Amino acid sequence: MSKNGPIALAYHALFVIFMLAPIVVVCWVAFTPEGFLSFPIQHWSLRWFKALAFYPEFVAAFWRSLWLGALSSALAVTVSVPAALAIARYRFRGREAMTALFMSPLMIPNIVLGIAFLRFFTEIGLSGTFIGLVLSHIVIVLPFALRLTLASAIGLDRAIEHAAVSLGASEWTVLKRVTLPLIVPGLASGWALAFINSFDEVTMTVFVAAPGTETLPVRMFLYIQDNIDPLVTSVSACVIAVAVAALVALDRAYGLERLLVGRGSHGR
Amino acid sequence: MAFLALDNLTKSFGSHIAVDRLTLGVEKGEFVSLLGPSGCGKTTTLQMIAGFVEPSAGAITLEGRNLRAVKPAKRGLGIVFQSYALFPHMTVAENVSFGLEMQGIAAAERARRVGETLDLVGLGEFAGRFPRQLSGGQQQRVALARALVIRPQILLLDEPLSNLDAKLREEMQIELRQIQRTVGTTTILVTHDQGEAMALSDRIVVMNHGRAEQIGPPHEAYERPATAFVAGFLGKTNLVNGASVRPERISFAASGLAGTVKTRIFQGNHWLYQVDTADGLVTVIRQNTGEAMPEEGAAVHLAWGAS
Repeated sequence: MSKNGPIALAYHALFVIFMLAPIVVVCWVAFTPEGFLSFPIQHWSLRWFKALAFYPEFVAAFWRSLWLGALSSALAVTVSVPAALAIARYRFRGREAMTALFMSPLMIPNIVLGIAFLRFFTEIGLSGTFIGLVLSHIVIVLPFALRLTLASAIGLDRAIEHAAVSLGASEWTVLKRVTLPLIVPGLASGWALAFINSFDEVTMTVFVAAPGTETLPVRMFLYIQDNIDPLVTSVSACVIAVAVAALVALDRAYGLERLLVGRGSHGR
Repeated sequence: MAFLALDNLTKSFGSHIAVDRLTLGVEKGEFVSLLGPSGCGKTTTLQMIAGFVEPSAGAITLEGRNLRAVKPAKRGLGIVFQSYALFPHMTVAENVSFGLEMQGIAAAERARRVGETLDLVGLGEFAGRFPRQLSGGQQQRVALARALVIRPQILLLDEPLSNLDAKLREEMQIELRQIQRTVGTTTILVTHDQGEAMALSDRIVVMNHGRAEQIGPPHEAYERPATAFVAGFLGKTNLVNGASVRPERISFAASGLAGTVKTRIFQGNHWLYQVDTADGLVTVIRQNTGEAMPEEGAAVHLAWGAS
């Protein structure tokens, strides 16, 4: 193994600081006793964490975001499986167009999608509903779910499925007993990436959500439009704590690298 | 009619003809190899028998019934793939058991036959391992056991030994031959390795550009190649006076074709000579019997029997 030189080390250090500084600052400021955002803080206090108890809409929004992310990601992955298998193994008319269509939400600015969904949902009576949120989030996260599902479908050795067929397995049995178990790591990473994107989304969601169906980022965005107190920093600190805890738990249980890299060939 | 009969079997991909009117009869219990360079159509032929590639024309019959009308899953053939294609998420025992489960065989009977077949390939104690915990040779045996356990009418082997190193390959060849003799399953092997084909087969089919150039026992094809391609593909050969002569058939003699030894290579059990003659370079292989042999630069005469 070669050692890094001093310049490389300095570069890495700067990079890590650049990545972590905003997160550290937000968590730090959350402990201020003052009624305004200031940095560095003079004294430590849990004032703004205690204040969360008086804002139940933040807690409700957090749970809503969690469910929304979980549900829309699961549905996006479900839709991705047949699409990915078809794109990965067959050359058919409209294959390129289909791939482009599924990936297109990445190209369209979310704000444009937001306006479009607002119009569309108003027409069909879904405006401001949780179902509307789920539908629009499926569209937003589909490219991420599809990309990783596709990667594991392409990496699948077709001979393995042929082997199952030659041993007498029906198409349904091959899918259930061989294909799906082999692409599960890809599906899991696709779901995780989709979830993160859904949880994070504000630009489009702000158009689709209504009072009562606000997601956490939308609630925070609307709050800081009217207030300049450090409440949002304590909310942020809580979200970061939850995210770190989830990552540690995932790493212990499953191996983070495996989840995010999505190696298809590792069975269990 | 033969046990398995291919009749004018043809496969074209667009304008490219991968397999061109191949006709072949395989008898019950026979070991036949499809031998040829890559792109000669041997793998496509195997895939048509297995049912993964639809023939463009021609017939495949097994015991007189039309195999083309039978779905791949219902053909009852055992296949060993080049990549082994083991189920990575299942243990060795689960891999081997899969085909029996598909046939709806009861668990106790399954366990008995899985154990029996794993013993046959010498992997009895590896039943609980996962494929990734096994060496290449062991994975190969699992693939063989998985194909054999369903008692297939035909065993199809697609370059099964090509991913093994030379020494292991030789061991597996001997073992494969023994296992095939033990179970007596009709076997079709696809390979580009002429040594492997000749060592294992009752008959070989030498293929080139989608056509069968020669079909016959290995010894016959080697000794009496039907075409220059077969002669060249099955081993080293010299073209002298328009006749093809194997290097080991040529000996140093008192009279005959005159030449000078250009290079001499010692290979343990034999000597490999390149002799410069009026007919061009001639390759000569002589057994090492411990006697002194002509040195480089020596003037020699070459003789061979008229065969």
